[in-house]
Amino acid sequence: MNLITSLTKIKTRITSVRRVYRNTESILGILLVMPLLIWLLGTILYPLLSAIRLSFLDVGIIGTGGRFVGLENYKYALLSPEFWSSLGRSILWVLGNGVIQTVIAFIAALILRQPFRGRSFARIWIILSWIVPTVVVVIIWRWMLGTSGGIINYLLVTLNIVPSPVGFFGSPGTAFISVVLINSWRWFPLMTVILLAGMLVIPEELYEAAKVDGASSWQRFKNITIPALQPITFVLGLVGTLWSINVFDVIWLLTGGGPGSATTTLPVLIYHTAFKGYRLSRASAISVIFGLILLGFIWMYLRFLGRSQEEKE
Amino acid sequence: MNTVISVRFLRSLAIYIPVLLLLFIVIAPFYWIFTSSIKTPSEIIARVPTLFPSSFTLQHYIKLFTSSDFPNYLLNSTIIALFTMAITVIIATLAAYSLYRLRFPGRNHLFRIILITYAFPGVLLLIPLYMMMTNLKLVDTLWSLVVVNVTFAAPFAVWMLQAFFRGVPVELEDAAALDGANHFRIMTHIILPLTSPGIASIAIYAFLTSWTEYIFASILIISDLRRTVPVGLAGIIGQYQVDWGLLLAGATITTLPVLFLFGLVGRHFVEGLMGGALK
Repeated sequence: MNLITSLTKIKTRITSVRRVYRNTESILGILLVMPLLIWLLGTILYPLLSAIRLSFLDVGIIGTGGRFVGLENYKYALLSPEFWSSLGRSILWVLGNGVIQTVIAFIAALILRQPFRGRSFARIWIILSWIVPTVVVVIIWRWMLGTSGGIINYLLVTLNIVPSPVGFFGSPGTAFISVVLINSWRWFPLMTVILLAGMLVIPEELYEAAKVDGASSWQRFKNITIPALQPITFVLGLVGTLWSINVFDVIWLLTGGGPGSATTTLPVLIYHTAFKGYRLSRASAISVIFGLILLGFIWMYLRFLGRSQEEKE
Repeated sequence: MNTVISVRFLRSLAIYIPVLLLLFIVIAPFYWIFTSSIKTPSEIIARVPTLFPSSFTLQHYIKLFTSSDFPNYLLNSTIIALFTMAITVIIATLAAYSLYRLRFPGRNHLFRIILITYAFPGVLLLIPLYMMMTNLKLVDTLWSLVVVNVTFAAPFAVWMLQAFFRGVPVELEDAAALDGANHFRIMTHIILPLTSPGIASIAIYAFLTSWTEYIFASILIISDLRRTVPVGLAGIIGQYQVDWGLLLAGATITTLPVLFLFGLVGRHFVEGLMGGALK
């Protein structure tokens, strides 16, 4: 037997085995993904639908009410100044967090991209503030920013930057800024790692070539790094916004939404309405409106930025 | 000669100072709570803070474990986290095998739907999940939190597994199939061993997600006996006279398992985050 025919035989056998193997794939594939799918349908889709239903009823505390009231809850939400001011704060929250985290994460990723000893250690442990429980984050910062015994106030007073300890959570403006900064401290490491991942796959030759052509480091950053990171920043802009607008516990545990309502974003308003004001249906209506606003945002983001993204590619 | 050395020295300073500053920003606050938690109450609230503790006491830890409900909270949180971890690992690994290694109609749609849920704002589910748990008579049970935590951990876990599962060469599977191995054997003997760092990472991710969860634990648990650590500590924060020593000791104990688990798989964990980000 010559070599060619035996090789062909082996090849046909490989294809046939592969075919049999691949044929069972469809059933198996669907079977294996089912547990997760059913879990998510049961705990995300079903609750969402029941939230919509609840928003048309007049349930206060659980087990009471249940009459159909039409759009009453929506009317109440849309006519209440708290809803609009909370929406405004949520937008401000997302923008503030977005800008601060992006800037810090970019700088941090550039620092961690360089070669230095202990680099892998730094790249791993930078993520620490993202993985500790939020309640620990809250304790850390309430402790450090406290008016008596707080190290930051001590430093500020000793260095004569302020005349007397600042009550960071005491006035509306400083409270909001403090909470944004603390939340950014918690989240920027994740953004850093993701940006760093994008930077590390940019071919080194690009930079070398640009260097030969006499490009400054700023020009290299602007003309190579930034464009190469576009696909990642595009996704990060969308996902990061959704992650950030959802933040509740950092705000709630630091300020409870106060002073007054200075840090009451929409998630805080929903929680407060449902579980402190005992208005489940009203809070449901706010959730539904909130969800619709987010859907609108996602649609616009993909439509306008997604298109320019495609044009660039 | 001297100028060469000093240029090199300056260059390394320019690299190391930003690195140290960055690590300082992230890590220094933890140093500060750990060291403060072993100070005596008077040193804790002293007007001039001490960078290195001048006193040493374990009284806050003793108080935490003997005259507060903290041990109970710790036990509850651990039970919930372990169950969350086990369920997440099983369903996310099966789904990842299916989505990244098998081909079937509708796969890409499923893949997208599952990935979208990792950005899903959980606060929208707050009220309906609370109603659902009430109807299922699961309110005030640890199970309710296991269910919720798996929902929030699993989609992100599938996303993190991407880098690990896509990294296994198809040829390995084909070769095994040629030798007569079925899908089950291929999964247990080839895919799972090769992706075990990823699976360890998502196990830790699921544990940490559950360990940190506050919002659902604060509404789904009613009796003090079943509270979790975050809700328990938040209760101490909420008191009029905050016992800082107790709180800092509590924060330290809560952070220790995080440090330990992350120390074990941190490298793979960050690898998974980075790999997922590129796909």
